[in-house]
Formats: sequence, structure tokens, C-alpha cells
Amino acid sequence: MSTITPLIAAVQQAGSALELLRATAALAASGDSAAAPTLVEVLGFNNPGAAVAAVDGLIAIGTPAVEPLLQLDPRNYGARAWAVRALAGIGDVRGLDLLIEALRDDVGPSVRRAAAKGLGSLKLQALDADERAAIEQRCLEALLEGYRDGEWVVRYAVTVGLEGLALGGGWPDSHPPHGRACEALRQRSDHRHEDARVVRLRAELGLTRLLPC
Amino acid sequence: MQGPQRMAGEPISEAEALERLRQNDDPSMQYYGAWWLGRNRSQHPDAVPLLIEALRQRRPRAPGAGVEENAVARNAARALGKLAPAAHAAIAELLAALDDPDDGLREAAARALGELKARQAVAPLCRRLAPGPAVVGAQQPNNPRLVEPCEALLEALGEIGLADDTVRGVIEPFVNHERPLIRSAAARALLQLSDEPRWAEPLLALLRHEQLHVRRAALMDLGAAGYRPAVDAISTTLAENSLKLIALRGLVENGRGEPDDETLLVAMDALL
Repeated sequence: MSTITPLIAAVQQAGSALELLRATAALAASGDSAAAPTLVEVLGFNNPGAAVAAVDGLIAIGTPAVEPLLQLDPRNYGARAWAVRALAGIGDVRGLDLLIEALRDDVGPSVRRAAAKGLGSLKLQALDADERAAIEQRCLEALLEGYRDGEWVVRYAVTVGLEGLALGGGWPDSHPPHGRACEALRQRSDHRHEDARVVRLRAELGLTRLLPC
Repeated sequence: MQGPQRMAGEPISEAEALERLRQNDDPSMQYYGAWWLGRNRSQHPDAVPLLIEALRQRRPRAPGAGVEENAVARNAARALGKLAPAAHAAIAELLAALDDPDDGLREAAARALGELKARQAVAPLCRRLAPGPAVVGAQQPNNPRLVEPCEALLEALGEIGLADDTVRGVIEPFVNHERPLIRSAAARALLQLSDEPRWAEPLLALLRHEQLHVRRAALMDLGAAGYRPAVDAISTTLAENSLKLIALRGLVENGRGEPDDETLLVAMDALL
């Protein structure tokens, strides 16, 4: 019997919201990949405190948590929203489609926000050059499209995502996607294109990081 | 559903919102029309005159209707608060509403005057609060509401921003009000009207209050006041990241000094 069996049982038998929160936090802290399916289940329990703890645990588990997250029933909206946050934090490339879809279509600004940040922080180092370039291209297009979002916080997250994508890609200045990302940030730092001052300031910061002089 | 009689809640055009406010047969249509014009920050020249007209409307709460007293007038006041600068033409009417017997309408008018930064409102707002927390901050008989809508009156004084000893003297006693949301509003206003960090202390304490709605209010108030040293306390508050991000945006846009912009932006990035 593994040491996490009682931790899993405690989550499944929790009789109150507070008990569930505590049991989930304990299971999440184990960092054991065998905890992943149970933590994914918690995402559907409609208990935000426990879901936050479960997301933290799933991100800590990382790669082994990706499959159970992708297998979530798409009709379970609440659980999917938390899954987007977990996948954004894990940065596994298998989450790409879900992140793109979430940024484009999700009704919750907090979900779109997490997806945008996640699209800028996928871990692509292990892939071969062609595959990597193709995925970076898809992330770039999705993020640029994300600037049409009506919520300032999503456009803020898109800005952070673009910066992360360009820095993480280690793109040379001559690489066309680098130019497009910089151009988008430049536009975003202009009050004629962006109402929210905080977004303009974040875009300026991104530019100084991408174009150090 | 097709045709002009669409359900409230469906997307409507500006022309239709104006029409709904102009007609006089159905108050619920007027209510929605007023809300729409504020929400969409209508720049139409008819919007403010129609809202002023609606602000004059008085109608008792219909029994069982589930609609608040003077619902149309209250919504008109709320909308006018969002329509600066055109709504400056409505300041006289809003000041009159500040003396209405309906405390809910006084509340909406106070918030609107705050949003319009109407300096003419400072004296009447202070007059309402001057009797102090034990009198105007007391609970109404058979009703959880206070005698005056203190939270709105305090917030309006902070938003208008007339930093004056008399104004601060009126606000100060409310920092010790028994209700945490009133303490929060008073501390926020004093922080906006002075450079004294001591007024941040009650807000920082409320970030650790046991009730989530109080922590949320303190987050919003620190953001509105732009109190930058609160950045770490905000980031670690037990509340939704969405609200912490709004509060930190407030520190960036309403505050100045240390910590600098970049430190605040990095803190925001971590909450996405």
C-alpha cells in the first residue's frame, strides 16, 4: 500500500467544504504523480478553495498530470476552467489546443487570462526545431488574436504571454515572429490602441525586455 | 425573439435604449434603458437630458414586484455617474437627490457625484456625515441599512479629492465605526485626502478579516487609494486573483512613488 492511499481516501471521504480543502491541500503537498487523478476529480467539486489547492498540486506534479487533465469531460465547465489554469501552469505542449480554445472562446475572463499566460510559457526546448517553430507560430497567432478581447486583464495577460513567447523562444531580432511580437507590443503601448494604462505600461516593459539597448 | 418587444437582457441598440427611457408606460423598460446608457457610456446628446428627467421620477416600491423604490431614478443617477463630462449638466439635480428622503437614492446620487468629481457636492456630503457615526451611522429601525448611506458618502468625498482639514475631520470618526465596510470606506477616503500612511493601517488589517466580502472591499479600497506599499499584502490576501489584479492595477494607475511600476507589474504577472 502506497503512502498516498490514506491521503486519497481522506479527499474522497471529506464531509465538509473545509475538510475537503484540508485533505486536498495535504494530497497536493505530496507531489506524488499517483495523486493526479484524484486532484483532477476535485476540480469538479465546486469548491474554489479546494480547486486552487488541487491546481497547485497538479502544477507541481507536472507532466504526469497532463493526461488526466485532458481527459476531463468538456461538458463539466467548472472543472475545465480549473484544468486550463493547471495546464497553463504545467506548460506541456499537449495542452496547446485547449489553451488556444480557452483564450478564444471561454466565457470566463479569469480562464482566458490564464490561457494567455500559458500560451507564452509552454516548455518547448525538447522539441526539434521545425516542430517548435510550428507551435510557436500557433501560440503567436492565438495571442495576437487575443488582443481583441474586451477585458483589460486578458489583454494584460496576452502582453505577458507575448513577452514570454518571444523570450522563451530565444528568437534572434531578424526572426519574423520576433518583429511581429514587438510590433504588437509597440501598438499596445499606444493610448490610441489601448485604454487601460496598466496594459500600456506592461507592453512598454515587455519592449524594454525584448529590445534591450 | 424578433421585433421591437425583445426581452430585457438581449443586446439592444443605443437608439432603442434611448427610446425605452423616453417612454413612460413601463418603468422596467426605463430601468433597463438607463442602465444601458451608463454601461455603454453613451455619448448621444439625448442621453443626459433623458437621464435627468428619469432622475426626477418618484415611484414607491410596488408590493411583490421585486423592484426597489425609485428604481428608475436610482439607475438614472448611477448612469449619470458614468457619463462625464456631459453629465456635469446633471450636477444640480444630483445635489437635489442628495436631500431626498429615500436613502437608496441618496446613495446612488452620492456615488455619481463622486465619479463626476463634483466639488459642489463636498459641503452637502459633509453636512450629511457631520452628526457622526453614532447618529447617521446608526442602524435604521427594522432595517439593516444605516440612517445615512455612509459608505457611499465617504467614498464620494475621497473620489472628489478636496483635501481639506474640515473634510478630513468629518470623515475621521468613521474609521472606528462598528461595521468593517464603513471603516474601510473612511480609511480609503482619508488615504486619498492625505499623505499619511497611518490611514492604510485599518485597510491592511481588513485584508486579514475573517469574512471574504470584507477582504474584497479592503482590496478595492487600497486599489482606489493607490497605496503602493500594500503590494505584498494584496498579493497574499485570501481572495480571488481577479480582485487582487484589479487592486494592483489601482496601485499602478492611482498611486505613485515606491515600489516602482516594474515591481507592481511583476507582482501582477504572478497572479495571472
